[in-house]
Amino acid sequence: MSDLQATLPAGPVRRPASAKRWLVRLAIAVLLLLPPVFSNDYVQYVVNLIVVYALVAVGFNVVLGYLGQLAFANAAFFGIGAYTCGISMVHLGLPFWAALVPTGIVSLAAGALVGLPALRLKGYYLAIVTLVLGELMRWSYIHGDVLTAGSSGLGIPPATAAGFTFGTEDEKYYLFLLVAAVMIWATNNIIRSRIGRSWVAIRENELATAALGMSPAVGKVTAFAWSGFVVGIAGALFAILIGRIAPESFNLHQLLLHFAIVMIGGLGSILGSILGAIVLTAAPEVLRNFPGMEEIVFSLLLIGVLLFMPRGLQGVLVGWFPRLRERLYRE
Amino acid sequence: MSLLQVENVSVQFFGLKALSDVTFDVEPGQVRAVIGPNGAGKSTLFNVITGYVRPNEGKVVYDGQSVVGLPRHVVAGRGMRRTFQNGGVFSELTVLENVLTGLNAVTASSTLGIVLRLPGAGAAERRAVDEAMSLLETMGLAGLANNVVGDLSSGQQRLVEITRAMAARARLLLLDEPAVGLSSSERDRLMNVLRDLAKDGVAVLLVEHVIDLVMAVSDRIVVLNYGEVIAEGTPEEIRSHEAVLEAYLGHG
Repeated sequence: MSDLQATLPAGPVRRPASAKRWLVRLAIAVLLLLPPVFSNDYVQYVVNLIVVYALVAVGFNVVLGYLGQLAFANAAFFGIGAYTCGISMVHLGLPFWAALVPTGIVSLAAGALVGLPALRLKGYYLAIVTLVLGELMRWSYIHGDVLTAGSSGLGIPPATAAGFTFGTEDEKYYLFLLVAAVMIWATNNIIRSRIGRSWVAIRENELATAALGMSPAVGKVTAFAWSGFVVGIAGALFAILIGRIAPESFNLHQLLLHFAIVMIGGLGSILGSILGAIVLTAAPEVLRNFPGMEEIVFSLLLIGVLLFMPRGLQGVLVGWFPRLRERLYRE
Repeated sequence: MSLLQVENVSVQFFGLKALSDVTFDVEPGQVRAVIGPNGAGKSTLFNVITGYVRPNEGKVVYDGQSVVGLPRHVVAGRGMRRTFQNGGVFSELTVLENVLTGLNAVTASSTLGIVLRLPGAGAAERRAVDEAMSLLETMGLAGLANNVVGDLSSGQQRLVEITRAMAARARLLLLDEPAVGLSSSERDRLMNVLRDLAKDGVAVLLVEHVIDLVMAVSDRIVVLNYGEVIAEGTPEEIRSHEAVLEAYLGHG
């Protein structure tokens, strides 16, 4: 299979471990396929939202956790993805799967563009510039009403593929799961390669990164581009999920939610991003049963996690199961 | 033919002369040390050679080409690798991951191959891991491969940084005070590694305060004082050089 494995003794030690790993993977896959069987429409909608936000957080984490840059263009990427998908479907008449192509290209380019100021700016300065960019995009959605239908919002037709319509929440779930799984898998591949290592190297020490022959500029632009791409595709799923996108969907509140998911899940962890999405998407829905307490409990939860779990939910989980620790490479 | 030529280099910071008219060269297979009292301009010299400081005058020629003004990663990509005085390790990464970043620039996995986890990219990655592990083996660090570097002793961190720098077949290795924080056994290991590298044709430029180590491994030594070269020669010549004894080594 590979030259490394060829040189290793094919002893009985490795095989059971890998068989067990496949069993775990299979179990996770089966579990992921199950929710629609047990859920009603409302619960399934929340589960779908979790899938969308897990993808959002994985994309945001590329810049925030792996590249280590304080950039807040995430709501902008999310909106750019949602609107590009929506406009392609409404105005160009493309089916959803075909609309993913312009969505991917535009959000990849948007990500790379936002990466350019990051070559000169750091910390708070980069944060404020990217924040303004998000607001600028929101302004564009409002005033570009020929394409975006302005403040009233753009109605999105349901996703179709080969004559099949993903109309119900259950059907959307499987579509979303497929797209999110592919994207997260690809992101994980990149992170555990020379590219991901260069991102983390930039986070750790930019001068030393250059001294090892890696261009910090190239690393930053590729990280931003990939982040924009992933979050943009998540935006397309979001458009399909809620059926109507409006500029207000991509405001500061949206950004804050993305930020909270990444921070609470754990910086620089894909597993953390998924956990963060589950907790922060489900919590408001559960808290809806306690009217008036919603915001207070939610805020306390955020403060509590940030104070007592410095590495987020992922850090707590790794404390219990050290094998879950994510590494760029494990020998 | 020398691999590195420093010709008449002068650097001024706000009118203060940090280096004036410094000239020397380093040949492949040679260990060249730069010594001198604190503030003599050793680190500035390092930063000029590796492109972190631009000289006001003079030339730095590496492998036949001037490297002044070139982006640092480009020069590093041609095999000029350095370590940092105050430590340039990636402390949140493991030892193996650190050395792998040193090999990044020569890991020939295509972007598309990485994204889609194609076999070719995977093979290139695994070759890099094999190479990193064999390097760690020679440095006696293989047992620490999966340890997070921030948890190691400062001496071990130094050795990791040196391993990382010499990965990807460095042709010129610039080490800024590599012996700081090393135990005596680690110091011995460092000396052996430097000798082996020189034997393999690597040029080594060393800024160091540990005089025993400098005298033991260097082929030639440059002595700086107040930014000027006050002596140049073999360890024996330097040891008995009157100006050097005066400025730095002291009469013993």
